[in-house]
Order: sequence, then structure tokens, then C-alpha cells
Amino acid sequence: MDQQKKIIWQTPWEYREGFSVALGIALTALLLQLLLGNVDPSQFRFPVNVIFGAVFLAGVALAFFIFRRKAFIRWLSSVYSTVPAIAVLLGVIIVMGLTPQLPDGTMEVAFPENVFTKMGWYRMTTSWVFLFLCFYLLMLIEFALLKRITTKQSWRNIGFYLNHTGLLLALLGGILGSADIQRLTMTVKEGNVEWRALDRTGGLRELPVAIELDTFTIEEYPPKLVVIDTHSGKMLPEKQPENYVYGGVGEKTALNGNHIEILEYLPQAGMVQDSNFVNFVPYFTEGATTALKIRVTNPNLKAPVEGWVSNGSFIFPYQVLYVDSVSGIAMPVNEVKKYTSKVTVFTEDGRAEKADIEVNKPLSIENWVIYQLSYDETKGKYSDISVFELVRDPWLKIVYAGIILLMAGALFLFIAGPKKRVYV
Amino acid sequence: MTWDSFIYFAVSALVLWSAGAFLAFKTDRKLLPVLLTVMGLAVFFAFIAGLWHSLERPPLRTMGETRLWYSFFLPAAGLITYLRWRYKWILSFSAVSSAVFIVINIAKPDIHNKTLMPALQSPWFTPHVIIYIFSYAVLGAATIVAVYYLIREKKITDKPRLMHMSDNLVYIGTALITLGMLMGAIWAKAAWGHYWSWDPKETWAAATWLGYLLYIHYRIRRTSSNKISMYTLIFAFLLLQIC
Ligand code: HEM
Repeated sequence: MDQQKKIIWQTPWEYREGFSVALGIALTALLLQLLLGNVDPSQFRFPVNVIFGAVFLAGVALAFFIFRRKAFIRWLSSVYSTVPAIAVLLGVIIVMGLTPQLPDGTMEVAFPENVFTKMGWYRMTTSWVFLFLCFYLLMLIEFALLKRITTKQSWRNIGFYLNHTGLLLALLGGILGSADIQRLTMTVKEGNVEWRALDRTGGLRELPVAIELDTFTIEEYPPKLVVIDTHSGKMLPEKQPENYVYGGVGEKTALNGNHIEILEYLPQAGMVQDSNFVNFVPYFTEGATTALKIRVTNPNLKAPVEGWVSNGSFIFPYQVLYVDSVSGIAMPVNEVKKYTSKVTVFTEDGRAEKADIEVNKPLSIENWVIYQLSYDETKGKYSDISVFELVRDPWLKIVYAGIILLMAGALFLFIAGPKKRVYV
Repeated sequence: MTWDSFIYFAVSALVLWSAGAFLAFKTDRKLLPVLLTVMGLAVFFAFIAGLWHSLERPPLRTMGETRLWYSFFLPAAGLITYLRWRYKWILSFSAVSSAVFIVINIAKPDIHNKTLMPALQSPWFTPHVIIYIFSYAVLGAATIVAVYYLIREKKITDKPRLMHMSDNLVYIGTALITLGMLMGAIWAKAAWGHYWSWDPKETWAAATWLGYLLYIHYRIRRTSSNKISMYTLIFAFLLLQIC
């Protein structure tokens, strides 16, 4: 059979029309962007986002059922519209990966004066182009779902429903919900109670919960040793610095050509110094540092070099052991293994709850989730304050429902594999 | 267990994998190749488990440790593919690619630094990273199929079979990156308070995911061009390299 070349826009629509529509939507959005600037999420707070979402979903469904037999609805629920829509969004996301993204709340004046700023590319997720393309995709997903629901069912559809409903929920919930997310930071001093927190713009907010910081503790990893270039202070070898993690007195190790033997270890040390002599002694008060006494040999040295290395604290300076005129052994700041805030949380109805909050172990209470954020880094393990982040995201359940469906859909893809296609 | 004993485990595993790969060509029965490959995996995993135990954390921090998982998962992915679709060459392919990572690890063991910062200490961290590594292996294999197809297009007799192989690998690989990405999101929520912040890593992960979705959806039409499909795969794999 002779295939005739189809002219663009002639039905049935295929990929060419798909790209035209997707690019047309992107261009329209770009015009709006130039006219109006980035979308302000605060305009979409509850209940606007709920109404908007409901109208969107219902509108698409209505269009589907009214125009179901029309060719363009069939096209909108086919891969001919889907593939170009995904491709154009992918293009936008690649641009986003290549341009630095500035956080919300960055002042307009901080943006560079160039065409990217006008196009909203430094805050892609609130740009019209990004949002229009996302909603176009959401519409296509809904059309595809409705089409599948109204045609013959087979067991393979399970995977289709899981994946597409999952993405619909996660994406819609994520976009609409972002306007309702509140993230506040709260700083509490040991022994004090705090119920006020700062929002992103620095405004003070009172919360329905109060946090008392009972104690704050930091657990550190054992100290490390590195070889440094004593002029530049850079760790050696420059490309991929080597380090040794302390494992016990008497251990021997090789570091960038030096042989190092550990002679003494003081986890709680104080420095004593006169005009030409530095020594470290046990010191059990706040501000104690960590010190290792080591012996260093290397083929270029006539005699071994022996002495203390320490990483200092907010009262003691650090101590480097010079090996020769260009290199020395230094101890970087101990890495933090975990930090824990023991707190008592009070709610408005008079309940009190004790809890340990750590990184990765937030506390959920009264619709808020309390995260360990940071502490007084100048004091390190002697910090007497703890900084928390309080997050409220009322749409989280919807997003998580979507994520769970998507995960189930992925398992289905994994097990069922692709359809065996019959080839002509 | 320390890196000092790595070479013994690695060489034993490689010998077992090579024997299995060799037998895959020799016999039509699956039993022996599968058995040998599984034994190789067990030996190799014994090393990983031992190292895990002595480090008191999953070995996922340094490049050397990550390469361990590649060396482990390539034959594992090969085995699954072999079991399911009986491609005879796949076991040789996975054994050779695993050997590459093993040789790098013997020549240049990157064993320094034993610490894990607090944000990484999450139950989601290990499965998230391991699944991503596994998906790299599978999608890497799909990419090789694509390159092979594009180079030898004229000479390939059974194109539908090759396309079906590529579909199989992409479905498995995409399922894995979907799982890896979503576990990453759940972990991010617990560690940083939000499930998706569009930082560069997440942005490129999303781009990669969309790249594979393009392939999956494009392949649904029977009239789709094999060539475009294969170029899409290579493009998606390039995106995966960025993230
Ligand atoms: C980005 C938005 C998406 C849109 C607009 C979309 C749309 C579509 C459409 C129109 C079809 C073809 C239905 C047909 O012709 O029978 C389809 C099929 C398919 N989609 Fe999607 N999809 C999207 C996302 C996803 C995701 C996230 C996954 C999985 C991770 C996925 C996996 C599949 C699979 C496996 C099929 C073939 C299923 C089958 O035939 O049973 N899609 N999709």
C-alpha cells in the first residue's frame, strides 16, 4: 500500500502535532512569564489550591466525557501527545540542571540582569513555563487514565493504573501543596523553653507547641590525621587527600610517603606552652581539645620527628607537627557522628512529651515535624544551643500516597516486564 | 575483614563467574552456569558482608567501596537476565565488566576515611544507593545493546529480538531508578525536611527518569523507529552519568 504523506494538523494527529502543541504551550507560558514574572506561590495557599486542583481535575474529566469520541481527545490520551510533552519538559529540566537555582525568598535585586532572569530560569519551579508544562502533563495523564478505565480491562492494566495514578497524585500534590508548606527555624538554649520561630523572611511566629531543650550532646568520630602542604595548607596528595582515622595507641600507618606511629592519645586535652615548648596534658573542662602524640619517619629524614598534633577548640589553637620545610601532619576538625537534642515538647492542651531529636530522627507532633537542624558551630561539641527546623506540610499524605503507588507500579514493571509486541 | 583479603575473594569469585560464563556457551542446560555464578556471588558478598561488619557501617562511603557493589551487582544483573531470557553472552559480559571494577580496586584501593555524616545515617540510605548502583548496571547493559544496534544495524538479522531485549532491560532499569529515586525522596524528607528540593542531583535524577519514560512511551507504537529508540536510550544514559 502506498503511504501518503500526511500534512501537519490533518487528523489523525501524531508526533509533529504533539511537538507543536507542547512547544506552543511553552511559548505561551514564556509570554506570561515576560509579562508577569514568576508565579508567587503565596497566591495559591489553601483554599485556592484545593479549588484550583478540584476544578482542574473535574474540568479534564468533563472534557473527556463530553468529547470522548472526538479525535483530539483520543490524541490527548495517546503517546503522540505524551512523548513530545515529556521531551519538552525534559528540555526545561535540563536547562534547570545547567543554571544555578536560587532559593525562594531571594531578593529580586540579587538576580543577575540578563535574559535568563526575565525568563524565570533561576527559579524554574515557579516559572510559568515549568508549571504550564507540568499541568499539561497532568492533563495528559488524566486523559490516559480515563481512556484506560473506559476500555477493555486486562491484568496488565494494574501496572498502568499504579504508575499513572501515582504520578498524578505525587505531582499534583507536590505542586499545589508547595504553597501551604511552612518551614520555620527555632533556636533553643539549654535549659530554656521556646515557642517562637523565624520564617524564611525573618518574621517571628508563635507556635502551638513549645520546646524545652534539656540537653544537647554531640558524638564525634575518632580524630583523623592528614599530611598538609605547610605553605598552602592544602591536604596531600592534592588530587585525592589521604587520611588516617585513629584506631588505637601503637598503630602504624602510611600517609603520603610518611610512616606514622601513634604514641599517645588524649581525647580530652589541654595545651601547655612556654616560649619554645608545646605539650598536651589531660584536661577535663569545657573547651578541651583532642591530641595525638606521633612519631614520623620517611626516607628523606635523618631522624624521626616526634610531637603532638591537635585540632584545637574554641579556647586552644590547633597544632601541626612539621615534618620538613614543606609538609606537616595536621588533625582536621573531628567529624560529627551524631548530635542529639533531648527535649520536652509542650502542647497547648497541656500535654508534655519527652523525646530525643536527631538528624534523620525528627519528631512529629500536632501537624508539625521537628527536625534537628544545627547548633553553635563555633563551639562545636560544647554548643549549648540547638537549632530546630519545624515543618508543616498538610499535603504530604497525598504526595506519599502517590509515591507508594509509584513504587508499587515500579515493582509491577520489574516483575511483568514489557508487553511482547507482535511485529509486522 | 579488611581490604587485605580482598584479592583472594575477588579472584575466587572471578574464577567462578568465568567458569559459569564459559559453560553458558557450552551447555543448553542452565543449571551449571547458574550454580557457578551464584557461588561466585556468595563468595564476593561474603567479603562485602565481612567488610560491612568490621567497618560497622555499610561500605558505601568511598569510591572503592562503591566499586565493590558494582562488581557484585553486574554479575547479579547478568544472572537475572540469563535466567529470564537465556542470552548466552550476558554472563561473559557481566563477568568482564565486573572484572574491570575489581582490577581498579586492586590497583588503586581507595580505602581511606571511615566516617559517615549524620544525614547519611538513615535506613533508606543503603537501599537507595544500592538500588541506584544496580540500575546503573542494568541500564548500562541496555546502552550497550543500543550502541551495538546502531553500529551493526545492517547486519542484524533478528531485530525484534534485540529490541525486545532492550525493552526488557529498560523496564527493569527504570523500575529500579524509580524505586531508588523515591526512596531518596523519603530519606530526604526524614533528613532535610522536604522530599524534593530540586537540588542539582535531584534535578538530573528527574531528567534521567524522564529520558527513560520517553523511551518506554515511544516504544508503545509499533511503527516507532528502532533507531530513534536507541538514540533515546543513549541520551538517557548520558543524563544518568550526570546525576
Ligand atoms: C509523565 C506523564 C505520563 C503520561 C502523560 C503518560 C501517558 C501514557 C500513555 C498515553 C500511555 C499509552 C496508553 C496506550 O496507548 O495504551 C502510557 C503507557 C504506559 N506508561 Fe505512561 N504516562 C506517564 C508517566 C508514566 C510513568 C511515570 C510510568 C512508569 C514509571 C509510565 C509507564 C507506562 C507504561 C509501562 C505504559 C505501557 C503500559 C501498558 O501498555 O500497559 N508512564 N502512558
